[in-house]
Amino acid sequence: MFDLQYKKIYGTAVVLLITALTLWSCNGEKKKLPILGERDWVTKKVDGKDVVDTIYNQIPPFSFTNQYGDTVTEKIVEGKIYVTDFFFTSCPTICPVMKRQMTKVYNEFKGNPDVMILSHTIDPEHDTPKVLNTFAKDLGIEGDQWQFLTGPKENIYAIGQKSYLSAAQEDKTAEGGFLHSGAFILIDKDKYIRGMYDGTTEEGTQKLLKDMKILLEEYKK
Amino acid sequence: MIKKALFFITAFAAFSCQSAEELKSEQYFAEGYQLYTTNCANCHQADGKGMANLYPPLVGSKMIQDKIAMSCVIKNGMKDTIIVNGKAFSRPMPANAALKELEIAEIITYVNMKWGKDSVYTPTETVIKALESCRKH
Repeated sequence: MFDLQYKKIYGTAVVLLITALTLWSCNGEKKKLPILGERDWVTKKVDGKDVVDTIYNQIPPFSFTNQYGDTVTEKIVEGKIYVTDFFFTSCPTICPVMKRQMTKVYNEFKGNPDVMILSHTIDPEHDTPKVLNTFAKDLGIEGDQWQFLTGPKENIYAIGQKSYLSAAQEDKTAEGGFLHSGAFILIDKDKYIRGMYDGTTEEGTQKLLKDMKILLEEYKK
Repeated sequence: MIKKALFFITAFAAFSCQSAEELKSEQYFAEGYQLYTTNCANCHQADGKGMANLYPPLVGSKMIQDKIAMSCVIKNGMKDTIIVNGKAFSRPMPANAALKELEIAEIITYVNMKWGKDSVYTPTETVIKALESCRKH
């Protein structure tokens, strides 16, 4: 009787110890962010053997105009991680909140050459480089680290929907005339999406700040 | 004994009369807080301090005490450049056509009790009258 009880307790202790050890070893390993988006598989022949390769969703080359009137391509984010979002300057709803939260990201990584922010307008007819310039200034943003981008509407909507997996479109029924998500999207140095966050909340922003640090760790050798 | 009882009843009546007014102020304030959070805080922020040079603050603004102007701007929006606390703001404020007079009164109550000098609520009648005057403009 006593023996049986003793065995039970002993057994439980062993299980607990194993669980604790497993958890501990998990923590010891560096956390890595997932790669998000649709993926494809191709079969390649390597040394005469079939090897399946995964192709992840990757941000394609782009060309837009920034708040200084300069042409900006994917080259501007070469060797950098960046956060991107979609907004418009006359937006009465979630954009002011998103911009306030993005300002926190900006201030946290201000001057860090490995980090950039790209904000795309979804109302390019109104948001010309000049309008974006005034907006950035009024927000207190100077320099090149935070780019406000405009360009042909169809290109902005296409990159938003297909590449950044973020809704961006005209909708006369929506307040302000445009429908867009409040997402902040985190892109790594190889142009893969590594995280999507709710840019309208403090929790989303804090998660993004944490993940950006994890992502930057990946490149530290 | 009867005198004493009467005294208590009178005191109680006076007290409950005052607290009815207070209760209404509290109600307007609480409702106003909810409405402010949904309709105004995106730009003017939860703390009423506005945002950089984009959206003007309510804290320290003289305009919040002008209940006629407040009613009209909340309901119909505005396009003019305004100077608040020495800074110019020129982004248009959108209209809030769906807000009812009572709701506007509650927002004005919240803003003025929180960041202005008011200690009691702004009645709906004030807003109704104000809105009639701004229609004439």
